[in-house]
Amino acid sequence: MTIYSLYIYDRHCTCVYYHDWHRTRRPKLAVEGGILPAVSQAVVALAAETNSSTLTIYSSPRNTLTSASGVVVAVNEMNAQSAVSPLLQAPPSPVGISSTGLAFDEEVKLVYGVVLSLRNMIKKLSGRDEQFLNYRTSAYKLHLFETLSGYKFVMLSDPGTESLRFVLRQIYVGPFLEYVVRNPLVNMDSKEYGIDNEYFRTSVDRMIRGSSFFP
Amino acid sequence: MATSSKQYLTRGEELWKGRSEKVNAELFALTYGALVVQLIQDYEDYAEVNKQLEKMGYNIGTRLIEDFLAKSNLGRCSDFREVGEVVAKVGFKSFLNISPSITHQAPPVPTSPTRPTSTAQANSAGSSFSLIFDENPLAEFVELPEDALEGGLWFSNVLCGVIRGALEMVQMQVSAEFISDVLRGDETTEMRVKLIKHLEEEVPIGDD
Repeated sequence: MTIYSLYIYDRHCTCVYYHDWHRTRRPKLAVEGGILPAVSQAVVALAAETNSSTLTIYSSPRNTLTSASGVVVAVNEMNAQSAVSPLLQAPPSPVGISSTGLAFDEEVKLVYGVVLSLRNMIKKLSGRDEQFLNYRTSAYKLHLFETLSGYKFVMLSDPGTESLRFVLRQIYVGPFLEYVVRNPLVNMDSKEYGIDNEYFRTSVDRMIRGSSFFP
Repeated sequence: MATSSKQYLTRGEELWKGRSEKVNAELFALTYGALVVQLIQDYEDYAEVNKQLEKMGYNIGTRLIEDFLAKSNLGRCSDFREVGEVVAKVGFKSFLNISPSITHQAPPVPTSPTRPTSTAQANSAGSSFSLIFDENPLAEFVELPEDALEGGLWFSNVLCGVIRGALEMVQMQVSAEFISDVLRGDETTEMRVKLIKHLEEEVPIGDD
């Protein structure tokens, strides 16, 4: 039973947070301006990983950018770099299959679209009281937890896992409340920024890794 | 899912007791008082102070609703009447440990011959409820000076903003305002919350 990734969407239909644990395919970096800053450093850090591992193959003066992986501005420059060399898309780490060809921002929009469409269809079919819980494919299971305030917590796990809505609710009541809602420095309802911050990320990580669902 | 008002009261009570970090009530009242005084000194116009308090309350409300939804685990309210019940009995109780009494008003009767049923009425735009506060923890030690009374200051206007902000996050656009205030010499402290409209859920922009 493993957990693959977590997406959080706000009520403006934008992805405000992304976190992954196991992914078979590395996400392609987002198109410039496609995602909001402060959604996930992973989109930038992944490129940094690939850079360091492929140093021998492809040395470039632009590798000095790895040190700037924490800065949002670097996303654009990383993009330019990865566009130049397709080698960087496939890191030699054990989970390194080349990406699905979908840029990260398109991916999050599609995930949101799936969730929204299923939810609306279910509401039309059976009325407001029925809730969309999760769906399963041969490769993964997608769990949804939605709050009345419009925040949607989406988690992908392996198909054998039972409902993770409880875990998502724990994330909402725990780290989200503590480090996002009660954090005055996090711009919550903005259409320009995500909610990624150090405390939130580490506490979500700790919570998921410590739970029984994680191997 | 008709939860009785008694159940709401017990829920509010439980939530209040379950809260681990509580603030000293006197410190709270004095801090709020200092805040209002500072605003008055900065703006020097009581209408503007009212507006600022409401705005601050709005920002608080947008976040407070998350805390409320997370802790109370309540589902969606079936109509605006229930919204009022929940706000009065669970909301105020769990955060401020007060239980304002509530009276509901149906929307004004239109002249059209085809009248909707009363349940539909309770949910339509224009319905409202009034909260009457017997005790106001914000105004514990407060006496308003002459020019504040003349200038039309609503001392606890932040509460109006909180309700407006919180309800906006759950798809309801409301207007909340004080009708009377004991600090101004009236008999009761009463806030009227009126539903303007239900907000539609946002759909993602289709860019294809």
